Amino acid sequence: MPSPVLCVTGLSKSYGHGNIFSGISFVVEKGATLGLFGLSGSGKSTLGRCIVRLEQPTAGVVTMLGYDLFSLGSKKLRELRPSFQMIFQHPEISLNPSMTLAESVAEPLMVHKELKQDEALNYIRSLISKVGLRDEHLARYPHQLSGGEVQRAVLARIFSLKPKLVVADEPTSMLDVSVQAQVLRLMQDLQKETGVSYVFISHDPDVMSVMCDHVLWIDDGTGVLFDRSEFVDRVRTQSR
Amino acid sequence: MSEEVTTNPGARKIIAAQSTDHSTKRWIRKIRKRLGFQVCLVLLGILVIAALFALLIAPYDPNAIDLKQKNEDPSSAHIWGTDYLGRDLFSRTLFGAQTSLLIAFVTVACAFAAGTAVGCVAAYYGGVVDEVLSRCVDLFLAFPGIIFSLALLGLIGAGILNMILALTVSQWATFARFMRGNALSIKNLEYIQSARTAGLPDRRIMMRHLMPNAIMPVLILATLDIGSVILATAGLSFLGLGIPPGIPEWGSMIGAGKEFLRTAPLNVIVPGLAITVVVLLFNFLGEGLRDILDVHDEQVIPG
Amino acid sequence: MTLLEVQDLNVHFPTGEGTVHASRNISFRLQPGEVLGLVGETGSGKSVIGQAIIRLLPSSAQVSGHIYFSGQDLTGLSESSIHALRGCSISLIPQNPSGALNPVMMNGQQIAEIFETQGTQRKTAVETSWELLAAVGLVPAERIAREYPHQLSGGMRQRLTTSIAIARGSTKLIIADEPTKGLDYHARETTARLLREISTEKHAALLLITHDLYLAEHICDRIAVLYAGEIVEIGYAEQIFSKPIHPYTQALMKAIPKNGLVPLAGQSPSLMALPEGCAFMDRCERQTEKCHQEHPLMTQENIDGGVRCHHPYCA
Repeated sequence: MPSPVLCVTGLSKSYGHGNIFSGISFVVEKGATLGLFGLSGSGKSTLGRCIVRLEQPTAGVVTMLGYDLFSLGSKKLRELRPSFQMIFQHPEISLNPSMTLAESVAEPLMVHKELKQDEALNYIRSLISKVGLRDEHLARYPHQLSGGEVQRAVLARIFSLKPKLVVADEPTSMLDVSVQAQVLRLMQDLQKETGVSYVFISHDPDVMSVMCDHVLWIDDGTGVLFDRSEFVDRVRTQSR
Repeated sequence: MSEEVTTNPGARKIIAAQSTDHSTKRWIRKIRKRLGFQVCLVLLGILVIAALFALLIAPYDPNAIDLKQKNEDPSSAHIWGTDYLGRDLFSRTLFGAQTSLLIAFVTVACAFAAGTAVGCVAAYYGGVVDEVLSRCVDLFLAFPGIIFSLALLGLIGAGILNMILALTVSQWATFARFMRGNALSIKNLEYIQSARTAGLPDRRIMMRHLMPNAIMPVLILATLDIGSVILATAGLSFLGLGIPPGIPEWGSMIGAGKEFLRTAPLNVIVPGLAITVVVLLFNFLGEGLRDILDVHDEQVIPG
Repeated sequence: MTLLEVQDLNVHFPTGEGTVHASRNISFRLQPGEVLGLVGETGSGKSVIGQAIIRLLPSSAQVSGHIYFSGQDLTGLSESSIHALRGCSISLIPQNPSGALNPVMMNGQQIAEIFETQGTQRKTAVETSWELLAAVGLVPAERIAREYPHQLSGGMRQRLTTSIAIARGSTKLIIADEPTKGLDYHARETTARLLREISTEKHAALLLITHDLYLAEHICDRIAVLYAGEIVEIGYAEQIFSKPIHPYTQALMKAIPKNGLVPLAGQSPSLMALPEGCAFMDRCERQTEKCHQEHPLMTQENIDGGVRCHHPYCA
């Protein structure tokens, strides 16, 4: 039985005046999608950032690909970084405004594999066309493109590193309905192709039930795990 | 213009998508709308060229004393007249421009470089690094600039290089604090966090992601600072500090000429006007840039 | 009598790079007490219509067509006359509540000042503001009245701007611009319920501008679907959601996660470079030569229901 990609145990975060969340534990297997669901302010974004070590939890252990994430030395951490990535909610600030899409998408690969920009872009040619970006998109700056196009560029950038886990923090909540469908379908295709695992954060129950096998519902600082059908039932009863 | 369609975010995004060369064309269009700014740019251009080629343009050696021609009114021989030692005022003003601009540009460039580096590092690393650097900045900011330069010049002596050093030391902290503030405001934005999750090295994140996006307002500050440094230089050399006697400088010209204020006012008026006009021009430049950049809003509201 | 009648509204923005045709050929009617949704995605021009009605467009906008409010043509009115209507008969619930609220003014005061400027006594104004806060569910009203906007959540700020919009009580038309933007599903539900209640209780018509299909489905009587600046389909909400006849509306409904998350390929056309024929033809599976050559018109003249398509699906 292969070990899980991500294992979170007893994770807590507090900001002095109170707990945001405490005692959060869950496991994400290879190729699975776990949802983190909750209302605004429930701490799910903070939890997502802790998982990718953008924030420090107050207690608990995050085991990423078998390693204790918060006790890694900087060298080992830099080696491991490409394997776990994050996609954010606001497309308009997800990419460096002073870099073209080509530069942004190629950059991680250029740094990690020590390639020039053209070489890096060539390396990921099929990925770029898979996400639906063409040369005219790549030549532009982020503010010249729509939200959907930016999120697709972000996906190309992230997947160029061949991650094992991607934390998606409300990646489509700022997008129109038809664009949301494009981006979510793309994420599903990429998952089928690469076997990546997702931690999918959202406050939209409909999106959650389509994208996730299991959902961790964060309410009042604690998390309760549901599978897909239990989650749908729970949402329905809550709406009464 | 795209900025006028702010109420329809969808339209604005579409307009922006049409321009292939986004920055240069848009900036040229903005400048073309502002006549005052264009005039300012032209005048500054003339000033800089004149200062650069002072050696070629100046009709006389600025230090050539001719006591027979002292305190002359403007004439065809001396278009701005002569000073109390018979030296051509036009030539002295030109060379003075060279001195002032040289000191101002180099000082601001050094202060800007040092200040933005410190501010960026402090903002990016936070914690202890930020504390230590910020206290340093606070220390330098606590001293009034002129007094600091005065004291330093008193210590190390006169000379153009020393002048530049003294002024840089009094200016860099302002840039550091301003840069730190700007960098902090974007440090937690998603694209910086993406750079961290991508495992990019700290130095690259600071130089390619943090700095380019935080630097514009600091550049405007630098432009406005040029005027301040010119004034500070003039002030110090008026007091007889910093500039060695052989080099024409507007402040020292006023200092030396002040006793002739009633008898031969041109000694004071010419350098005085020169300072005023040049400082005003640089201030207009700074304000104009700020105006252009304010309207140039890169943040697209989701629509 | 029809409360609001928009006839052939066109809004253009001339820019340095060409003209943006934000809204074209917009015609619809709104009856008193009715809830009409202007539904569309980014770039559909829906926000512009709301702003055109209440005349809050930037000065560079070029507007043509007629807007009749209770029989009066708004397009010909002076600025002061429109100003008198605003906040009195026509209210706007703006898109970004945080931007619309004064951060250094107490919540209660933001409502009370509306009455105080009319000459009402301070005590009465304050008490009225408490009532209005309670009416939108912001309780305990007296405590919330003394707090500031930053102490409220996104959903609560939305309710506050709503209560400001209905403060005058004489409102006959409420224009709500993206009222659920950025709200989570719970706040969205309470906002939807609140808007519906207000519309019913005050007998005010509600023009709802949104891209949130859940909201449109739950509170609208009729819906106008916008694409590339035009209305492409208009009809009763149940029909639009269950049996849409315009290919775009169909595709939009299928893209909803509940309905299968079927993506719609391509992008809406630039409002500066609109094709001669149908704006949707590049993404439409039913397109023919006719769609390339002839721009489709709305089918029905009575503008209460209709579709703009050469080959609509059969109802």
